[in-house]
Amino acid sequence: MSRHERWAAVAVGLMVVAGAAIFLYAPTDYLQGPVQRIFYLHVSSAIAAYGCFTVVLIGGLVYLRRESLVADRFARAGAVVGVVFTTVTLVMGMLWAKPIWGTYWTWDARLTSTLVLWMIYAGYLLVRRLADPGRQAARIAAVVGIFGFVDVPVVHFSVTWWRTQHPGPVVVNDALPPEMLATFLLTMACTLVLAAVLIAIRYRIETLSDERMHLAEEVKVITAPEPRMAP
Amino acid sequence: MSFVVANGLTHWFGRDLVLEGVDLVVDTGEHMAVLGDNGAGKTTLLRILATALRPTAGRLQIAGLDAFREKRRLRHHVGYLAHAPGLYPALSAVENLEFFCDLQEVSRTRVEEALDVVGMTSAAHRRADQLSRGMQQRLAIARAILHEPRLLVLDEPDASLGEDAAELLTRVTQGKTVIMATHDRALANRLCPRTLELRHGRSHGTATRLHVVT
Amino acid sequence: MNPVRVAIAVARKDLKSEWRTRELVPALAQFVVLALLIGNFGFQVDTRNASAIAPGILWFALVFAGLVAFGRTFAAEREQASLEAMLMTPASPVAIFAGKAMAATVLLVLCEVVLLPALTLFFGTPLGADVVAAVLLATVGMAALGVLFAAIVARVRARELLLPLLTLPLWIPFIVAGGQAVQSAMGLPGSYQEAMGLLLDFDILFVVLTSLAARFVLDE
Repeated sequence: MSRHERWAAVAVGLMVVAGAAIFLYAPTDYLQGPVQRIFYLHVSSAIAAYGCFTVVLIGGLVYLRRESLVADRFARAGAVVGVVFTTVTLVMGMLWAKPIWGTYWTWDARLTSTLVLWMIYAGYLLVRRLADPGRQAARIAAVVGIFGFVDVPVVHFSVTWWRTQHPGPVVVNDALPPEMLATFLLTMACTLVLAAVLIAIRYRIETLSDERMHLAEEVKVITAPEPRMAP
Repeated sequence: MSFVVANGLTHWFGRDLVLEGVDLVVDTGEHMAVLGDNGAGKTTLLRILATALRPTAGRLQIAGLDAFREKRRLRHHVGYLAHAPGLYPALSAVENLEFFCDLQEVSRTRVEEALDVVGMTSAAHRRADQLSRGMQQRLAIARAILHEPRLLVLDEPDASLGEDAAELLTRVTQGKTVIMATHDRALANRLCPRTLELRHGRSHGTATRLHVVT
Repeated sequence: MNPVRVAIAVARKDLKSEWRTRELVPALAQFVVLALLIGNFGFQVDTRNASAIAPGILWFALVFAGLVAFGRTFAAEREQASLEAMLMTPASPVAIFAGKAMAATVLLVLCEVVLLPALTLFFGTPLGADVVAAVLLATVGMAALGVLFAAIVARVRARELLLPLLTLPLWIPFIVAGGQAVQSAMGLPGSYQEAMGLLLDFDILFVVLTSLAARFVLDE
């Protein structure tokens, strides 16, 4: 087994453990019922997503400062994995919202800013794909990533403020009983490990892709580019 | 004294290798022509030499300075004529040049002088989009010499110019270090004692001809 | 090199070019009027709901006009290959960016000169100094972001698609605060002061950030 495969196995194993905790250990919520169990993964996913986008931010900043290809690869990896986790967060959020609030969507600060987050980093991935690969793509993406990272809290803040002008459904957050808290922390830890492993794997893919671009076995000059594979 | 020293210039556009390990040295005051077919990499090489493009690999020194680190400083000394004229169509020839004077903090008296050198004084107040292509080319050349650079990097300067192309270019390149790309070997012969052959992104050596005055 | 003078020279050049060709502003003006028309029928506006819906239509019209206007700032340069000539000078990219942002702001403001009275004409919304102030304040920040991202996508494929995709998420705070400011200026509930305060904060934040980013975006 390669080391990436080993890490993957560990990450999956940990997620199974978290799953067991969620369904077997954590008590059923008194108010929300079994649907509430989504919360563990939903919030963990969100935190993992933010973690990934922090990687994109730092990778971008380091790239702008030092033109480090390694930093750029981490940024690319972080963006892909982050979009995946954001998608999971949004979908789980919607599945949770329907039984609890009666609607799949509501324009509150968290949902709105998570959606914006998704859009920004989907845009990031699109820009990478469309720009000339190499320095141009890396620089542009770094700037997009930095602005995206700043924008999300700004949007969150604006919508929170807007809600004071236009009150909407209130999300009640009770204090968590200790078993729930423990389950949550466990799930979060396992999810973060999963995110780290995914980023590592993606990093490796980006490294291989970079090598394919700049080092060719035979030197082929001014040929038509091969069709690119989906990331 | 070497004014331009380039080492191993290599450039990839995505998966295309456009320039491969090009070396060149140009002494102060020397005129060098870069020859090669379309697609050989002339424009890419010239853009790198003019500091308009950063190559994927390689080193470049201009006037003893690292061209990548001192880009902004070097631009005072480099005049670049790109493949496309890059003019503002709605502005007159004079206004185009005045704008570039303002950008470079060059005295506006240079506008008249530059127009005179390229022989455009009569068309000075005509809108750029109403100039013939030959005139536009002259205007672009005027812009390249506006700040009296020591190094001129010219990409096919003779394009669209008429009969007096050689004369005009001789005037313009007088006393400067020049690297120019062209298809016209006779012109290259006349203006540049040294030539560099580029084929498929690779340098096929430089040659020095005896400067024959026709 | 005096960056302020460079910025002013760039802004003047852009505005002079626009004045000579008179392409963008008339087209934008027509465009916003059409947008109002579409808003009217899309939202089924009548005298009862006009005052509630009109402020929203304002923002739609403004956002679309903005995307067109900012997209043009670099599209024109690109067509003429003149952007590279400008960047090849020792002039600071931040100054060039500032100049283009200023010119784009002026052009969008000219478009607003048509939009706001048209809004009043079609929907009966009040047109006071407070409405104008709110729109102008939002325009500044939106222009800085719009022009920066227009520069970003200028050299990328499918730029007409990318520009809205990248810029709109960043404009959302301006629309949230600006929308609220305009609404309260037009007599609907909400705090005008707070909204304007937010707009100002966003302006400062994004003008600073875009200025810092300009040199990375505009450098070759």
